[in-house]
Amino acid sequence: MNQRIRRLALALIGLFAILFVQLNVIQVGRKTSLDDDQRNTRQSVRDFNEPRGDIVTADGVVVAFSERRDDDSGHPWQRVYPEGELFADVTGYFTFAYGATQVERVANDVLAGRTAQQQIQGIASLFDGADTTGSVELTLDSRIQEAARSALGDREGSVVVVDVQTGAVKAMWSSPSYDPNYVATHDDRAAGDVLEFLNDVPGNPLLANAYQERYMPGSTFKVITTAAALDAGVITLATTFAEESEFVPPQTDDPIQNYNQKTCGGDLTEVFRRSCNTPFARVALLLGPERMVEATRRFGIGEKMPFDLPRPAASKFGDVDYFEQNLPLLAIGGFGQGNTQMVPLHMALIAASVANKGAMMKPYVIDATFDHDGRLMNRTSPSVWKQTMTPATADIMSGLMQEVVRSGTASCCLKLASGVEAAAKTGTAQLNGPGEPERSHAWIIGFAPASAPRYAFAVMLKGTTAEISAGTGGTLAGPVAKKVLDVALTR
Amino acid sequence: MARLGGHHHHGGRERYHVGLTVPTTTHAQRRRSSELRLVVLAAIITGAGYTLAALGKNSAMPPRILPFLGVVLLLLVSAHIAIRWFARGADSTLLPVAALLNGLGYVMIARLSERLAGLQTTWTFIGIGVFIGVLVVVERINDLSRFKWTFFFTGAGLLLLPMVPGLGFSSGGARIWVNIGPINFQPGEFAKLALALFFAAYLAERGSLISNSTRRLGPFTVPETRDLLPLLAAWAFSVLVMVGQRDLGSSLLFFTLFVVLVWVATERTSYLVIGFGMFAVACVAAYHAFDHVQTRVAIWLDPWSRYSGKGYQVAQSMFALGSGGTAGTGLGLGDPTRIPEAKNDFIFAAIGEELGLFGATAVLIAFVLMIGAGLRTALRTQRPFEKLLATGLTTILGVQAFIIIGGVIRVVPLTGITLPFVSYGGSSLVANYALLALLIRISDTSARRLGEVPDQPTLSERWTARRVARAEKKAAV
Repeated sequence: MNQRIRRLALALIGLFAILFVQLNVIQVGRKTSLDDDQRNTRQSVRDFNEPRGDIVTADGVVVAFSERRDDDSGHPWQRVYPEGELFADVTGYFTFAYGATQVERVANDVLAGRTAQQQIQGIASLFDGADTTGSVELTLDSRIQEAARSALGDREGSVVVVDVQTGAVKAMWSSPSYDPNYVATHDDRAAGDVLEFLNDVPGNPLLANAYQERYMPGSTFKVITTAAALDAGVITLATTFAEESEFVPPQTDDPIQNYNQKTCGGDLTEVFRRSCNTPFARVALLLGPERMVEATRRFGIGEKMPFDLPRPAASKFGDVDYFEQNLPLLAIGGFGQGNTQMVPLHMALIAASVANKGAMMKPYVIDATFDHDGRLMNRTSPSVWKQTMTPATADIMSGLMQEVVRSGTASCCLKLASGVEAAAKTGTAQLNGPGEPERSHAWIIGFAPASAPRYAFAVMLKGTTAEISAGTGGTLAGPVAKKVLDVALTR
Repeated sequence: MARLGGHHHHGGRERYHVGLTVPTTTHAQRRRSSELRLVVLAAIITGAGYTLAALGKNSAMPPRILPFLGVVLLLLVSAHIAIRWFARGADSTLLPVAALLNGLGYVMIARLSERLAGLQTTWTFIGIGVFIGVLVVVERINDLSRFKWTFFFTGAGLLLLPMVPGLGFSSGGARIWVNIGPINFQPGEFAKLALALFFAAYLAERGSLISNSTRRLGPFTVPETRDLLPLLAAWAFSVLVMVGQRDLGSSLLFFTLFVVLVWVATERTSYLVIGFGMFAVACVAAYHAFDHVQTRVAIWLDPWSRYSGKGYQVAQSMFALGSGGTAGTGLGLGDPTRIPEAKNDFIFAAIGEELGLFGATAVLIAFVLMIGAGLRTALRTQRPFEKLLATGLTTILGVQAFIIIGGVIRVVPLTGITLPFVSYGGSSLVANYALLALLIRISDTSARRLGEVPDQPTLSERWTARRVARAEKKAAV
């Protein structure tokens, strides 16, 4: 019998060895895939039942905090967004059933106190009961943000203001927006209904249109075409363009016309100031598909912006092969029509690069993170994303854009308070085909003050109403930019 | 028994007569003092775990931690003293390892539900009481073999009790509960003890007869038809349990117990092959006949596609184990309440979450230690009944732990069964403490027989001796 008992012992130990191997497979081998499984709500639930740090603007306004609430939901902490819709695109929401978005998502570890640094400090707090949550300081300024909202009013569109030297986003507003408090409610069903409703609202309020959506840029794109041509040496400030009302590009009989079929021509300053179309169509063709596409790559078009918020959109121009076959589209692409699609934030960055000697900074909204005792944990250090143009070209572009404000398409509407001069380029992106009712986006991009630039901006009004479609970038977007800049520059 | 009456007793201290080898007591002393140290260690680990869980969960010291530690020590030291008095030669690891598992289970249960923790405390008191009671009552393990048919009928009766209308009821799909007055219990937990006693006694008597068959089938010696009958009966029984109570785990455990004991007793591999062949047939048949068996297998193979349905439990168990990782989330810092039945069948997943691979492996090692101690006991004793009983009891512990841990971590299909000493539940805890006492009794008996400990007469033997002496005195007068 003893021999059998020994064998039985071996068999039983063998069975437990199998259990040990399988434990290793699950707890070590498959740990990551189990933790990342989207059905695994452990982490979010754990975070949800614990306090969470604040999100604060650069000027000290709390835009998200957690409040102790002993309701019958079983979750003691309610996330509150005191500014309602104003910062929804930046803070996002933090929910039990639907996860978290935006800063609530990307800075979750800091807010929940789960970074390695906080955990180490947390070992001590285990005994005194203090929480380890951290706070996030945004780059945004609540006054500029509020100015953007009130200037845009109930018109659909986006306003972005960035610091030209750092890429820090000072304001980023898109209308329509939504109130994250309705989504963060502990009533999962109500939150689900709100999300479902918001999903179907035209204008996509749940999307941060300022950086997650792209629109036809119209003439604001001429900044890119002009800088590319200056850098390539195909034009100079002295180049003059023939007075003409239309131009027929190769591979077609369809002529390209100027805005309102006007005759337009003159030197570079003149055609840029008046925003003629045919000169820029010619310039794009002069550069040719290869150099033009290469230039747009230098501007970061075709790639996702290196932003610290989730899922940034990529601006779009087109590729070489496509334009080789389709020179007319290259021509109209030269002034921002056709298939050209730009993200509003990206346009603000491009304007900023003009003001920053051609250096385009990486955009960011999280300025710094702090631990529970207010000690700085991390501060974002600005870094260059692209060198869009040479400093010399940037100088020329700045002059051209100042002329637009002084005597060009933006002269009506961008006279800033206390006489500060701005530089800008307007755009009116025509969306309708021939014979269809007029429909256009109104754009303006630029920076101010022109002499010592601080802020770059992009304002875009979506062509969803007849009123907007009847206007131009200068007359519609210009006043919005002025109101926002006046607030920003008095700071 | 040869030395019976050879000793005189003076206030508990023994003196030995010449003519007998004087047995040294150092074995016993060493075993008991190491047991005491280990038991205190188990109590300290339990107290530390309890404190950490409270700190982790509420960021506050648990109220009444010192009384708690006192009660744990009181319970364990009482059990230890019982062994000192009634089984001083026994193996020194069995009680401490069981105490550690019981303590760890208690910490998890207390962390999951304060109400259940209170009940589990009661069950532990009763469990230790029964443990001491078994040591006191069962003084000579061989006495039990005389009652083998009693055990058989008790065991069979208990096993079938939940199927009695009005008494038995289902919970969680398995009809394994009995309700008598205010008490609910799972008779199956006690039935396996009774049946292990019966099998051991029966096979100790008949084992050699069964193995002396001369019929051959290919390479195997096949038992006589008459000797196959008990095997068939056991098979039928386990199928009955599987069908009647939908309790796959107990059915598997019960059948494994029987096949292993027949194999050890007869030393015939053919029984092992035939036994598991029969069980395989039953499993295939059950798979085709019953939806719930098919579901179990399907969940085992792929819980993810049934996530929102019956696979949820196993999937949550996987998530829990994954979030535990190597070192665990820490006691009180995980989220084991998300696993359905975490206090019970899935307590191993809860341990794996909060104590990680390290803690879960410690539990596995604890069971391996118990298996080692149990089978060492079986090897040390010479008597077939004791050998088979120790083997059977150890098999129950080991296989039951394997079936439920394996179910929780997807090594085998999940069958609802408790994790011995760890899971919440009175029936399970009390029955397992009785099992432990029997193992300790066997271990002590062989220590006495090997002369490691003086073989004192038992209480009842002393009474008998006194009665005989008085009768003789009377007769002399």
